[in-house]
Formats: sequence, C-alpha cells, structure tokens
Amino acid sequence: MILLFLTSGLFLGWSLGANDASNIFGSAVGTKMVSFRKAAIIASIAVISGAVLQGSGTTDTLEKLGAVNALGGSFTLALAAAISVYLMTKFTLPVSTTQAIVGAIIGWNLFTGNRTDSATLSKIFITWISGPVLGALFAILLYILITKFKKASGMHLIRFESLIKIGLIVVGAFGAYSLGANNIANVMGVFIPAFNLQDLNLGLFSLSSGQQLFLLGSLAIAVGIMTYSKKVMETVGANIVELTAEAALVVVLAGSLVLFIFSSTGLSDFFVKIGLPAIPMVPISSSQVVVGCVIGIGLYKGVRNINFKLLGEIALGWVATPVMSGLFAFFSLFFIKNIFGIDVGHKIDENLKPFDSGPIIPDENMSDIIKYLLLGVVVAGLLTLFYFYLLERKKTRELKLSEEKFWKNML
Amino acid sequence: MAVFTRTTKNLILKIDEFFDNVELGLLVFREGIKSYLENDMESFSRHLQKVDTLEGNADMLQMSIENEMITHSILPQHREEVVKLIEELDEIIDSAKRSLYEISIEMPKIPSSLNKDFISLTETSTNAAEELIPAARAYFKAPYTVREKLIKVYYFEKETDKLSLNTKKRIFQNIYDIDLAHKAHLRYIIHHIENISDKAQKAADLLSAMAIKIVI
Repeated sequence: MILLFLTSGLFLGWSLGANDASNIFGSAVGTKMVSFRKAAIIASIAVISGAVLQGSGTTDTLEKLGAVNALGGSFTLALAAAISVYLMTKFTLPVSTTQAIVGAIIGWNLFTGNRTDSATLSKIFITWISGPVLGALFAILLYILITKFKKASGMHLIRFESLIKIGLIVVGAFGAYSLGANNIANVMGVFIPAFNLQDLNLGLFSLSSGQQLFLLGSLAIAVGIMTYSKKVMETVGANIVELTAEAALVVVLAGSLVLFIFSSTGLSDFFVKIGLPAIPMVPISSSQVVVGCVIGIGLYKGVRNINFKLLGEIALGWVATPVMSGLFAFFSLFFIKNIFGIDVGHKIDENLKPFDSGPIIPDENMSDIIKYLLLGVVVAGLLTLFYFYLLERKKTRELKLSEEKFWKNML
Repeated sequence: MAVFTRTTKNLILKIDEFFDNVELGLLVFREGIKSYLENDMESFSRHLQKVDTLEGNADMLQMSIENEMITHSILPQHREEVVKLIEELDEIIDSAKRSLYEISIEMPKIPSSLNKDFISLTETSTNAAEELIPAARAYFKAPYTVREKLIKVYYFEKETDKLSLNTKKRIFQNIYDIDLAHKAHLRYIIHHIENISDKAQKAADLLSAMAIKIVI
C-alpha cells in the first residue's frame, strides 16, 4: 500500500529524468560528442549520488512551505503536479516540476487550512527569477574565460575539443549530481513529512528515512533518463546546435553551478561563517536556468534577436504552473478525501514540529524492500557496465580488423 | 582515458603528416618540371616516382583521418568541413601527380625560349598551393590568423593567371616555328600547371569560410 502511494512521486521522478537530464547532457549528446549510453550511465549514477547525499537542503524549504502529514495527501500532490507538468508540456510551454510542486503544496495548505509561510514563498519566488539571471551571469563570465584561454593557449583544435569532450563528461556528471541534489525535493519532498522510516544500515553507511525516499525517487529519475531521455537529448542538441562546443560546455557548467549553489547547505553555511547572508535552499528549474545561460552567451556575443516570446513564456510559467497545479491539487484532495475517504492531511499544530504531527509509517517491510532494491540495482548496474564494456571492446576490435582488411585489399 | 588521449595525439600527427606530404609533393613537382625542361629525364622520372609515393601516402592518411574522426566522434561540429578541406588538399597533390604523369606519357616538346616562362608559371602556381599549407595548419592552432595567411594564396593565384595568359599569348602570337597542334598541346600543359593554383584557390575559399565560422 505504501509503495502504491509512492507511485505518483515515482512517476514525477521518471518524467523529471526523461525531461531534465537533457538540460545537462543534451548539447553533448545532440552534437554527438558523448554517446547517449555513456551520458545516461553517468547521469544516472550522479543523480542518485546527488539526491541521497545532498538532497535534504531543498527538501527542508518545501517542508517549511507545507509539511504534508498524510500519505494520501502526498500522493495527491505529486499526482496533481505530474498532471500539470504533462498538460503544460502538451501546450509546449516551458514547464518546471519545481513550480508545479510548489503550487500543489500551496493547494494543500489552502485545503487543509494551514498557513502558507509567506517568507518561504517569497524566497522561492525570488530564487526562480534569480536562478536564470545568475545562470546568465555565470555563463558570460565562464565564456569570457574559456575563449580567452583558447586564444592564449594556441592549443590544437582537436586537442582543445577533446578537452571540451572530457569537460562535458565531468561537468555533465557534476550537473547531474546538482540536479539530483536540487530537484529530488520536487519528487520526494511532499512524502518526507508523511514518512518516518527507521535508519537502514548497509554496513559501511546507513541511510536515514529521508535518504531512503531520495534513493527511491532518484532511482525513478534514473529510469526516466535511461528509458525516455534519448529523444529529448537529441532534440535539445539539434535545437542549440549553433552553440559552439565551448559554449555548450559553458551552458552546462553555469547551469550546474546555479543548481549546486541553491542546494549546497555546506556552501550556505560557509557564506554565513564569513558574514554573508545564507543561500536559500530552493529547488529551481534546470530548463529555465539553461535558457538563462544561453541568453547570457547570446547577449555577450551581441545577438540582437533575443527570443522575447520564450522569455515571456518562462515568466508565464512562473505564475501559470503553480496556479494550475494548486487548483488541481485542491480539487483532487477534495475528491480523494470525500469520495474515497482517504486521509489527505490535517491542520498542523504550529507549536509542534511537522514530524510530531504526522503519522508514523510502519516501516519494517519498507526498509527490507529498499535494501533488496538497492542490492538489485547495484548488481544490475555492475552487470550492465560489464556488458557495455564487452560491447565496446568488440566494437573496437571489429573496427580495427575491418580497417586492416581494407588496407590489405587496397595495397 | 589513455586510449582517448592517444587517439587525439595520433590524429594530430596524421593531419600534420598529411600536410607534410602535400607540401613535399608540391616541392618535388616543381623540381620535376624543372628537370623535364632541362631534359634531365632520369631526375624527372625519380621526381615522378616520389610524387606518386607521396600522393599514395596522402591518400592513405586522408582515409585514416576520416575514419578516425568518425569512429571516435572527433570535432563533430567541424568534421565535415575538415574532411572536405583534406579532400581539397589531396586534390592538389593528385593534380600534381597527374600532370607529371601526363608529361611523362605525352612528352611535350617545349621550346627552350619558353623555359623561363614555364619555370615561372610552375613556381607561382606551386607557391599558391604551398602558401595554403601554413594557413591550413593555422586553422587548427590559430584560426584568427588564417585569413591573413590566405592573402598570399590569392595573390599567387592571380599571378599564375597572368603568367599563364602571357605564356599562351607568346605561344600563339609570337612563336611561328611550331604548328597549331603543337601550340594546342603546350596550352594543354599550361592548363595542367595552372590547375594547381586554381585548386589551391578553391581550398582557400573553403578554409576562409571555415576560419570565420570557428572564430565567431
């Protein structure tokens, strides 16, 4: 039953993996600098690591916005967000899972009579706008640096491009890590307050209740990447193919930095330590940050025809997506509660911590399932890597043989 | 990663080797024509063999470069153009080899009064192609300097046109002791030599566009 409730979150994770991985590896795969297979494996591993190791920062912010304290509520919110994302995508509007889930949480707050923390909400809104702006600034700075380096070094074009290729893989891995860390809150954030699993001891390390959910969510993202992101990556690559290889690298790096900044509690603590204000830990839209980065490079290069329609659509998305998702969530909660009689949450006593007011989920079976699932994933992953290694070896050997045969016939 | 670096290094070496072959082929072609004009047939046939070998090497390198670029997905955004440039350069050394072979088969009788004109024509035409090589090398290392290097290619190509025109004029208007068929044959040989600078200009046009694309 618990797993059934999680399906909507897992579906949301799957769609996030299918769509958002293209922001990280799209240009590399689209320009054929990195093969999809390589990109998918790297992105999946990095997303899982980012989500499990660093996913708590942004989740705390969503929890502050609304601590959903019933599994039925969490399920409905994730479903409402997923449907909103699907519909917005259908109307080809640049949609963000983040905006959808925030809208759904506000819908839950309204339905259950909980207060929406305006300070947290304004923090989230500001970050949505500052994310793409920061992305544009980072992109301009990095682009200046990389072009200056290229000119000054006098490096052979092929060597430079091979460095870019390595860079795209490394930065892509960092981007996928940041995506996992920043966006896992969208997928599993609404389930965190409703779950309280016992720690899962895996010998070398143990996973907390939240981390177990992040692991499940990130696995769903990884499945999304593996199964459905190829087409999206190829489309993204084709759409931004005018970007040079170094510009593609800059876009991914700048975008990843922005995602990382808004999800690193360590960096935020460091800022506070040196007397600067703390960085808000907010899940942001990787698509919109990437658009910001591309526009930044365009502005630096003096491109006059900035696509204002696209900018307008993004701004519309900031408002339309949360409103639509909020309305969906509100009405869905009404139906789920009154027709199916499922508990979707209740008003939180503000004197208690969110966990204190939420139900505790019996977790013995759940932890076992996660343990076996993790083992299965590790074994399957190792087998897949070994299979790909064999395939790669076979391909190289066959190519070598065919070339030798060709020259033998020619001479 | 080691394999990856080795592939890059090998490809760079192969491209450099290809350029060396074309450059050397042009030098030997020039010497071959000079030998023919001096009636030193032994030296001519040695130069012919050398150009043949260099052209064969260039062909092998061209195919190998193309294969490696595709197999290892190197320079995906510029690959087509780089392959095309290498094809155009290969056409130049191919043309040099063909010209020497045609001369060795047809054995045209070049009047000694035209020796100087033929040497100048050969020098200028091969100069145009030779000036292309540093520009092509610069595309990979300093694309900003490609266009300034190409100016010399265009200059020598124009000079070749002028020299070719003057030589043809001399043949048809000032030399009376050879028949029309002989004159037409000489014109044909001039076209062959001139062809090298024309091909160099074609490659220069492509290289110039490639350089702009990579710089902006």
